[in-house]
Amino acid sequence: MTTLGRTRLADVGTYVAFGVICLFFAGPLLWLVSLSIRTSAEIYVSSINLWPNNPTLENYVAALNNPLFPTYLWNGLKLAVGGAFGAIFFAAPAAYALSRFRFRNKQLAMIGLLAVQMISPLVIMVPLYRYMDRIGLTDSHVGAMMLYIAIAAPLFTWMLKGFLDGIPRSLEEAAMIDGCTRFGAFMRVVLPLSLPGLTSAFVLNAILGWSQFIIPFILISKPNLLPIAVGIFNFQGTYSQTSTQTLAAASVISIVPAVVVFLVLQRFIIGALMSGAVKG
Amino acid sequence: MAHVQVNQLFKKYGELQVVHGVDFEIGDGEFTVLVGPSGCGKSTILRMIAGLESVTSGDIVINERVVNDIPPRDRDIAMVFQDYALYPHMSVRQNLGFGLKMRNASKVEIDEAVRRTADTLQIGALLHRKPGQLSGGQRQRVAIGRAIAREPQLFLFDEPLSNLDAKLRVEMRTQIKRLHMSFQVTSIYVTHDQTEAMTLADRIVVLRDGRIEQVGTPDDLYSRPANRFVAGFIGSPTMNFIDARLVAEGDTLWVEPTGGPRLSVPAERVGRYRPHAGRQITLGMRPEDFTNTWTDESRAASSAVPLDVTVDIAEPLGSDTLIFGRIGEAEIVCRVTAVAAPPRGAVMRLNAHMNHMHLFESDSGVAL
Repeated sequence: MTTLGRTRLADVGTYVAFGVICLFFAGPLLWLVSLSIRTSAEIYVSSINLWPNNPTLENYVAALNNPLFPTYLWNGLKLAVGGAFGAIFFAAPAAYALSRFRFRNKQLAMIGLLAVQMISPLVIMVPLYRYMDRIGLTDSHVGAMMLYIAIAAPLFTWMLKGFLDGIPRSLEEAAMIDGCTRFGAFMRVVLPLSLPGLTSAFVLNAILGWSQFIIPFILISKPNLLPIAVGIFNFQGTYSQTSTQTLAAASVISIVPAVVVFLVLQRFIIGALMSGAVKG
Repeated sequence: MAHVQVNQLFKKYGELQVVHGVDFEIGDGEFTVLVGPSGCGKSTILRMIAGLESVTSGDIVINERVVNDIPPRDRDIAMVFQDYALYPHMSVRQNLGFGLKMRNASKVEIDEAVRRTADTLQIGALLHRKPGQLSGGQRQRVAIGRAIAREPQLFLFDEPLSNLDAKLRVEMRTQIKRLHMSFQVTSIYVTHDQTEAMTLADRIVVLRDGRIEQVGTPDDLYSRPANRFVAGFIGSPTMNFIDARLVAEGDTLWVEPTGGPRLSVPAERVGRYRPHAGRQITLGMRPEDFTNTWTDESRAASSAVPLDVTVDIAEPLGSDTLIFGRIGEAEIVCRVTAVAAPPRGAVMRLNAHMNHMHLFESDSGVAL
């Protein structure tokens, strides 16, 4: 077989694999969309039709008309954005220290951070609830946000450290010789250059926060404080048996902000700001 | 302008000692080059002078003020980095003006300094560009411009030319020399390239393993190296080192290379070397101390002695020819006036200029 032929064949293989993987992951999502535009009568039909016989947007209207739905969205947004800001607020200085300073047991500290990351909140659910309850931080956005931050900060410290390692030290040193304090050099040189890294960390963090389920599920019981991920779950209980289509519509609505945010901010992530910083 | 003193400077990283009690002094307006192989501590010393590394012990004094604990920004210095370290998110204009802006200069002052610097370095057309849009040579000029725009009292250069290609390196070297001649600002320049050191420096500090081997003018180092290391480091091709014995016969002193012909020591050096007669020594001869053009008169006048060299390889360089050959057991290289390349094994009669010879102790390498 010619080289060109082999290349073509490999291309076909790649696309087929791509298609299969796509279908595997997009399948449930498409099914969710399909459910969300069905009438209640069509929910339990046994034949598998992706496109229903009588498509309707009624379910979306019903979901959006739920008096608590906008509150859920707003709570979800608050927790996701607040948690992301908080995580970066704590992770950025830690990452800077790990990237720039020499200190005893640095390696141990970094491995420790990663080890903490491996503990699932699910495992510590009971003690976590008791602990937060004791200090009066259940049914509170501040309490939930603190946990969002605690869970995300180690990973983002690692992420940002990797990014900061890529910014040459000589840039800060040049700034310090040019008249900046270390903090000034950080603010004027490192921070602007870290913006792509910080933005990507923020976006990723906010999306993870938006879909966070366990923490608010454990800590928050008041309906008016629930974020969207848990709020939707409660739809199940509050509606009659045939609420599946409304639940599906609500789920689709809840996905939209995350997708939009990702698509819009993705361009910031691919920042070519660093090109030409040092020798070319 | 600044007068710099480095007194008993030590630097340790944990248990690793990298600078071992270094002392030197730099006069007002002097251009000093710290040179040595990689790992000799030259960059560490420069960074300590800049304030980017802490001092383990010893003092750095700039204009009679000990600056050990003074932050870099208050030392009134400017530094050109090996990787240029231009701020990638700022235009060339902002890069040049950054130091002045940090020192609260007015906009008019900054504009004037930027214009003057851009004129000096001919980078006026680049002012609106970002560093990413510049070539290597242009970035290097902007980096130098950022240093001179602020008119500091001390310039520090950390291997600033090592990322440039050979041609550009020579151009920039001349440019730096020209700038120093017109501004006369005290400068400390770190390099591992002895050619840069020789061409730029008023004074050179040769370092090895965190210790000073010799401090002197380029001529001192070339003509009167303190030891075998300095002799070998300065000059290209490197000095020939030939194992030999020093033999006295009446009033005459001879150098006898192992397995080679004996060479007479010029009369004016006999007194100096006589105490070492009978000892095993190392003879140092620079490649350019062998010539292939002479007359009997010129030979007699320059204490030159004829020497037969068995040719191994000849490398014609155009202006002159490098002859790689042997005398006795020693391999040597000679830089002679351009000749048609002699065949391998041919014997060339050269003139060895013994008044330029160097003798070193065999064990310690110290010059006799």
